[in-house]
Amino acid sequence: MKKQLCLSLVASSFLFAQTDIEQLRLEMNKQQLIIEKLQEKLEKLENANREPIKTEKFEAPQSEAFDQSKFMPDISLILDASYVSRSKKDDEVAHLEVPSVVHGLLGSHSDGDVTHSTYNANNGFNLNYAELALSSSVDPYFTMDAIFHLSEHGFEIEEAFVTSTALGHGLRAKGGKFLSNFGYLNEKHHHTWSFSDMPLVYESFLGLHAINEIGAQLQWTAPTSTYLMFGAEVLQGKNEQMFGNNTIGDVEAPVAKGSSAPSLFVAYVKSSIDIDDTTILGGISYANGSSRVDHSQEEVPSAFSGDSSLYGVDLTVKHYFDSYSFLSWQSEWLMRDMDGIEYALDPADISVITATTNLRKKQAGIYTQLEYGINKNWSAALRYDTIYKNDVAEDGVNLNEPDSLNGYSAMAEYKTSEFAKFRLQYNRNEALYNEDGLKQKIDTIIFQTNIAIGAHGAHSF
Amino acid sequence: MRFLLLLLPLTLFANLNIAVSYPYIGALTKSIGGENVETVVLANGNWDPHFIVPKPSLISKVRNADGLIMNGGQLEIGWLPPLVKRAGNPKTNVNAATFLNLSNHIAMIDKPQSLSRSGGDLHPDGNPHFHLDPNNILILANVIKEYLSSIDSKNSQIYEKNYTVFSDMWKKKIELWNNKMLSKKGAKVVQFHNILAYFNKAYGVQNIATIEPLPGIPPSSKHTLETVELIQKEKPCCILHDVYHSTKTAEFISEKTGIKIVLVPHDVGALDSVENLTSLFDYLTSAIK
Repeated sequence: MKKQLCLSLVASSFLFAQTDIEQLRLEMNKQQLIIEKLQEKLEKLENANREPIKTEKFEAPQSEAFDQSKFMPDISLILDASYVSRSKKDDEVAHLEVPSVVHGLLGSHSDGDVTHSTYNANNGFNLNYAELALSSSVDPYFTMDAIFHLSEHGFEIEEAFVTSTALGHGLRAKGGKFLSNFGYLNEKHHHTWSFSDMPLVYESFLGLHAINEIGAQLQWTAPTSTYLMFGAEVLQGKNEQMFGNNTIGDVEAPVAKGSSAPSLFVAYVKSSIDIDDTTILGGISYANGSSRVDHSQEEVPSAFSGDSSLYGVDLTVKHYFDSYSFLSWQSEWLMRDMDGIEYALDPADISVITATTNLRKKQAGIYTQLEYGINKNWSAALRYDTIYKNDVAEDGVNLNEPDSLNGYSAMAEYKTSEFAKFRLQYNRNEALYNEDGLKQKIDTIIFQTNIAIGAHGAHSF
Repeated sequence: MRFLLLLLPLTLFANLNIAVSYPYIGALTKSIGGENVETVVLANGNWDPHFIVPKPSLISKVRNADGLIMNGGQLEIGWLPPLVKRAGNPKTNVNAATFLNLSNHIAMIDKPQSLSRSGGDLHPDGNPHFHLDPNNILILANVIKEYLSSIDSKNSQIYEKNYTVFSDMWKKKIELWNNKMLSKKGAKVVQFHNILAYFNKAYGVQNIATIEPLPGIPPSSKHTLETVELIQKEKPCCILHDVYHSTKTAEFISEKTGIKIVLVPHDVGALDSVENLTSLFDYLTSAIK
């Protein structure tokens, strides 16, 4: 009996167990289905979350493994060309001079085997330059800029310099070849000028590129709310019109011995204030250097050896009516004092024919211009140029050089965009004299085009 | 005496002195920074943001700043780089921790498919006027909060608190503006330059034409006549005109078609009545009648 009971219990428990297992299995199947469904849902959700990241992650790589094109510097190319109609022939113009200031101001002239020409030198078409500008940061501490002037006469490094970015305390150092920050216009590139030629006083005293030298510059902006900047430059000192340190003539028996280099020192202070929408920027500049000016290769060979100082005062007042229209009045005064010996040379062997015991040139001039920016497309400007002081004394005797050397200019400019500029300019030059010492009046009409491609240039004030 | 005051460094008066390119960034930075931050705005709010005069006085402002916040998206490309270059301030250099480019934090729209200046003065990364979507203002406020907290961590709780106050207020405003603009969905408008792209996208407003033929290119008679024709066909509600371009061409179009011209502010200070961010969007959301 006991045995039977036991057996039946076991059997029933088996039976029960079997039904239990059956039920469990069903339950488990159900659970599994639910889990699978949940898993599906989860996966879907996860995928939904992941998908955009996934695609971003696996988006084709931007560049090839060793591609460095992303490090390409900013590049721009500026083309400047003009059509010129002048009241005098090119050959005639090249021989004219601003008495005791500069020979051959307009037109092109040869100096040995190098041809120099100013902008808009010839009657007819001129390709003034194609300017290639490269700019990029070097590392966290420097940026580098290079501006190359390509012309029919060759390749010229207009600027190539490194600028510090990490000095702090408002300090900025620059080294290489660059346009000096003397005055207002000196640092500006041709394509940012309001006229297609340089003011008379600048070009006469300093030549076409003004103070464009190899050297070092340090500038400091004061920690004041009013803009106040001090700058100093040490420069090699090679300027075709005013500064130089090379020996002139034969090294064995020189006309004038060279001086030690670097030989040009520049300093300036600039400040600016705003009165509502009017900005006033002013500066005082000074340059001093040795002058070994070598004109031994010219048609009437000469040389000058001495020391020179250049003083500058600049004032710009710009009023803005709105984002695009403005009235700007820009003026600069330059005065130079050159003290030394002038040599007249023999064209045959560059030997000294005559030498002054002393030649002192005190010369001063002004340019002042008024520009009205009418809107985004149009602007117009007037300019008055003068060299009003031309005191040249040879061994203490005043040479009574002419001193009312004037120029008048007017221009109208049309821009199709920021990148293309067309300008019609009229110049009246009353500063040049011919070989007989007669004053010449020269009228010039210039149609200039200035076109830029590539990186967007941003210009300082 | 007054001259001496002018010469005093700005930094004497506040904990942090942050230079910002545009007024709206200044307003946001002030909201988050509170009394700890002095903001110096470089651009005028009523001028074309693409063409700001790089006045020398701005060099001093950048020179004396502890940080610089800019819009980015190449909106400042024509004027800010020379200022930064001349300021000689490592704190405002592009890769400094104290330099903030807001455009890095916004998904920009209207990125040009092909990039050529024959298509006008294009912005390669897309339309940079993203601050005119009020939802983006919220993102930017957060970005500025993070920025201020990272460069001035001891005050991060204050910035966090100010952000919470600002974002709570702003979310309520967004709701208000959403309701206000609900009925304007699908409205067609004309602009001079597509400065309202983000605003229009946020509220379903459709810009059917710009008075300038291509970005940055002044109106041409051919394009103006085409616009007149398009307006006669599509019947948009109005010309939403920015404050800095001449309305001459718009007036001509209005004369031909009878379309209304509404001057709209693009930034704080663009119009006298737009003194802060709230009034900027109050004004914009009331522009379409």
